[in-house]
Amino acid sequence: MSSLSKRRKIQQSTGERIFDVANVIFLSLFAFAALYPFLNTIANSLSSNRAILAGEVYLWPIEINIEAYNQIWMDPYLFKAMRNTVVLTVFGTIINMTATILAAYPLSRPQFPGKKVIMVMITITMFFGGGLIPTFVLMNTLGLMNKYSGLWILSLFSTYNMIVMRTFFQSLPAELEESAAIEGANDIVILVKIMLPLSMPVLATLTLFYAVGWWNSYMGPLLYISDPEKVTLMLKLRQLLWAAQTALQQINEEGLMNKPRVTEEAFKAAAVLVSTIPIILVYPFLQKYFVKGVMVGALKG
Amino acid sequence: MKEGISVMQHNSVARIVPPDKRDRLWRDIKRAKYLYIMIAPIVVYLIVFKYLPMGGIVIAFKDFKLGRGILGSEWVGLKNFHELFRSPDFKLILRNSIMLNVYLVVFTFPIPVILALLLNELRAPRFKRVIQSILYLPHFLSWVVLSGILIAMLSPSSGVVNRIIMFLGGEPIYFMADKTWWVITFVASSVWKEAGWGTIIFLAAISGIDMEQYEAARIDGANRFQQVWHITLPAILPTVSIMLILRMGSMMDVGFEHVYTLQNSYVRSVSDVFSVYVFRIGIERLRFSYTSAIGLFQSVVNLIILLGTNFLAKKVSETSLF
Repeated sequence: MSSLSKRRKIQQSTGERIFDVANVIFLSLFAFAALYPFLNTIANSLSSNRAILAGEVYLWPIEINIEAYNQIWMDPYLFKAMRNTVVLTVFGTIINMTATILAAYPLSRPQFPGKKVIMVMITITMFFGGGLIPTFVLMNTLGLMNKYSGLWILSLFSTYNMIVMRTFFQSLPAELEESAAIEGANDIVILVKIMLPLSMPVLATLTLFYAVGWWNSYMGPLLYISDPEKVTLMLKLRQLLWAAQTALQQINEEGLMNKPRVTEEAFKAAAVLVSTIPIILVYPFLQKYFVKGVMVGALKG
Repeated sequence: MKEGISVMQHNSVARIVPPDKRDRLWRDIKRAKYLYIMIAPIVVYLIVFKYLPMGGIVIAFKDFKLGRGILGSEWVGLKNFHELFRSPDFKLILRNSIMLNVYLVVFTFPIPVILALLLNELRAPRFKRVIQSILYLPHFLSWVVLSGILIAMLSPSSGVVNRIIMFLGGEPIYFMADKTWWVITFVASSVWKEAGWGTIIFLAAISGIDMEQYEAARIDGANRFQQVWHITLPAILPTVSIMLILRMGSMMDVGFEHVYTLQNSYVRSVSDVFSVYVFRIGIERLRFSYTSAIGLFQSVVNLIILLGTNFLAKKVSETSLF
């Protein structure tokens, strides 16, 4: 291997070497640009409000303090929103995974009369739908407004994830379940005892995908949740940031740009960061599995 | 392994015995009873939450009142569509949806392809992994978070971007209030969130290329640019065209959360798109029939563009969706 790469190096022309260096520099800059907004936000969350408003914060905190995080810890509304979002996410993910498996397993069986019809039914929904308003009217008619159960039912499973799951089931050796079937095991037993234990990596990937989706969900709660008791984290965060922006607009319009603002910049930055912590925590696991998951889906799709 | 073979033999014997096709189907159906139990809730869900709303599109042809229900509301024929096509709002949102989508396709579609090719040329695997980890991260964060960060960074008074512009001797730019700059910010934020993630599918296609092709090309004296041009690029072209066809199927859609979280009243005239408009007029002002007509227009145009692109792709190349 090393002799091969050495030989390659010798064969390299000057142009190729220049390209290699330029490529590394370009991708580093691109990645830094993608990462910098987060670094700036972290620095802001730990800086004094004065330093932020004066525009002194670039990469590291100025006049470092953790006042913003203390405020978040004390804020009852943000705390409630976070608790609500945990409930929404945990149950939503369990329901999604159950539905995904219930759809994917039968559709992965070669001898399942009706498979084609159901697949066509599902595929059509990928390209055509009733749209926002008819769905909204339906939810209203069924009395599912202001209920998390309404959100859970409405997004029961993602077609894309279901197809990934189905493709994985299809890739498992058929002999395994055939021998179980000979011994008298029915489909439920085969699914639970044989298929699912073999599918752990895919199950992990899809669980993480669904969980991230619920944690980040904004449009669903915006449309269907108006009860302040049930406010979710993204709704709350948006309110908080939006209030700040409208305040800024008013200040600009009234020409009072230099007066101190009511909303604390550091508090906003800290709120943004706190709301992303669960995702940052699961990110390493996501990374480990998702490439595989996406590849399985991609090759099939 | 041995057991597996015997099972297969057993099966094939069983398959030869019943000559009647209908008998076999009946047997399969009976054997699949648990599968039907599993999939039954899924089918019910599809009918109620996917197909019923498709039927609900009829409210675009009615004067829908929530109190009366869909069946009780009055038929008005194409009145909602007449009103829609005459409305100046419609021209604006149609123009904005097309404009933003054209910018998104022109600027954000090629970037993941180029990034994937560049990432593939990196020699150090660890460096490559670090870059990938960073580039994928924004995909997993919500638009509420990303827009919040962007708005703070682009603020004319305290944002870091304008600080740097001023440091370099420029005038501060009102990114969020200036129409041109808002559109640029919108497109750039899309690159930020999805460009890295978009590379995965192309990297997957690249990883499927047979390494012997490169060996052979090297022996023939091809340099790396020639290898990329003649091997890597043609190998991912089918994936690129499939992605492009799929993308064409949503030329009328601009992500609701993306626009809604970045939008403000100064830039309505360039940022109002179908989804945001339907939300504001339909849900907030309860004009259900009028906005259903918009929704139907949007879906039908999307479908036509998708089928049209698919047809063209089939004619021009081998790749198509169906």
